[in-house]
This record gives sequence, C-alpha cells and structure tokens, in this order.
Amino acid sequence: MNDETAVLANYIRTETGYAGDIDPDEDLLKVGILDSFSIVSLAMFAQEQFGVEFEGEELVRENLAKLSTLVALIRQKQSGAGT
Amino acid sequence: MRFEYLQNLWRRAIGPFKEFGAIAGALYAADQVLRRLSPKIGIYVYELMVQPIGGKKLLPANLAKNLTFAEIGRGDPAVDLMPARPDIKSARFDQGAICLGVFRGEKLIGYAWFCFNVYEEDEVRCTYALAVPDQSVFDFDFYILPEHRMGIGFLAVWHGANEYLRSRNIRYTFSRLTRFNVASRRAHAHLGWKCVGKALFFQAWRVELMLATLAPFIFLSWSGKSRPRLQLWPDKLIARGVGRADDMR
Repeated sequence: MNDETAVLANYIRTETGYAGDIDPDEDLLKVGILDSFSIVSLAMFAQEQFGVEFEGEELVRENLAKLSTLVALIRQKQSGAGT
Repeated sequence: MRFEYLQNLWRRAIGPFKEFGAIAGALYAADQVLRRLSPKIGIYVYELMVQPIGGKKLLPANLAKNLTFAEIGRGDPAVDLMPARPDIKSARFDQGAICLGVFRGEKLIGYAWFCFNVYEEDEVRCTYALAVPDQSVFDFDFYILPEHRMGIGFLAVWHGANEYLRSRNIRYTFSRLTRFNVASRRAHAHLGWKCVGKALFFQAWRVELMLATLAPFIFLSWSGKSRPRLQLWPDKLIARGVGRADDMR
C-alpha cells in the first residue's frame, strides 16, 4: 500500500469507525464503507493533505469510490496534468 | 430448490428488522402487507428533524466556484425536471413554498423546497408549524438529480441552501424524514440533525390516525378539512448551544 493510500485509508477508519482492511481497488460505496457525504469529505481531506485542488466536475463516483482512482487523480493533479 | 426458496423468503422476512430495528421493521412489514391488501391502506412513519444553519461553509471555494444558486419559480423549465406530480408542485407554490435550485453552469444539480411559518404535508394530513418562525424554515423534497448523486451533489445543494438561509437570518431548518429511508438518514446525520419528534400515520381510505410524540399526540381525521398541527421547537439544538448568534459568524 503506497503512502497516499495508507493516509486515506487511515482517514476513512478514523471518520467511519471501520476497522477492517481496505483494498485500494474495492468500491467503497458499494460495500457501504463510504456514503455520498463521506466520499466528498474524503476528497476535501485529500485536497488539504496533499496540497492539490480538485474541480467540482472531477468529484464523481468514478474518481472517488476507489482509493486507487482517487490516488491516481491526486497524482495527476500533483504532476500538473489536467489542471 | 425448495430450500433456496425458503431461504430467500426468510431473508426477505427478516431484512426489514435487520435494517430498521424491531419496531420500525415490524411497522415496515405491516405497511407492505397492508398495501398489498389495498393501495389505499398504509402506514407512514416519520422522524421530525432539526438541523442548525451554521456559519461554516460546507464546500471550499475551489469546489463551489462553478455553482450558482437561484430560486426556481412557477413556470420555470427546471420545474419540469422535478419528479413530483404537477398538481403537487402547483400546491407547493400555492402554499408559498420556495424552491431553491443549485446549478453548475446551466445544468440543474438538485434542489430543495422551503416553507416559512407552516408546511402543509402532502403525503398525509398534517400541518407542521414552526414555533420560532423568524429563525426557522421547514425543508422538504431535497432532491439530487441521479447523475449528480455519489459526487458533489448532496453537499452542493446543502452548501447552497445554507448560504441562502443564512442570508435570511435563518438558524434552523426542520424536516421530516421517512423512517424507512436509511440512505437519507445516514447522509443527513453528517449535517448535525437532531430528532425533535416522531409521528406515525395509519391511513385507510379517507380515515387517518396519527400517533405522535408531539402534541396533540393522537388525532383522528376523516377528511381534508381536519388536520393535526404539530408545533416544532428547536429545543434539542438550543440545549446543546448549537445555532446561537455566535455560531452564525
């Protein structure tokens, strides 16, 4: 598990009380770990934590439901692509 | 084959109890049975909630920058995008309700309706009266268009609603949540909602029996002319010191 994924997984555990393993490729909405509010909270946490700025249009299920896709978006922002 | 059938039947039977708890599960099961007997019989279970309108913005500036908030008036094309029946939407405008739409560019993301002073419930016969009308509203039919769910939609509409209400010095918004809408209950729990009362309505053709934790507690209605009036106080929030003037800054 890379650094960003571990930080995000820790945030989810703290915020939701979920104690189990979090697979980066697992759809966290589908399994009920996150809901429509908490996925956006997670994205806002990622903005502050990793110093990136998302666009409202980027905060969609495809980017937020899995840690792997959220981390990919963070890295894309950090590298300056798509901004 | 028979075992699987029985297993499915068992899962369906205990599902509501697992999801809603013993009492609400039993009411849900009873409602389902009654509705099969006749569509004119049913049970509605509501939780009456209050939410503080705080000073903190729900979305940071970069996420809110392309959003606009505007009242949607009668005849606006956006009204046609709302799934409620035309006569229901018309009745809402007739009772003075305001519909606030949240847009990204020209596109409607979602909306919420608000009533000042009183709200005439359109699912059952009941009037909700706000005990502190100069500081409260009643919100209903909070709706996110399907393509904006599981994204920024929910927070965007609440962000807009908070801005709109705060500019009118509103500190509390009341609502009624259907007890069986688990997703809505979970999402709203994040916003600091508190339950101020519960109400159950048993509907059978023209007769409606209300049982509530708020006065008048029990009410039997035979026609649209008689409706129970539930007064809603924001006590639960005031007791916790939420929503006072200093929270509005």
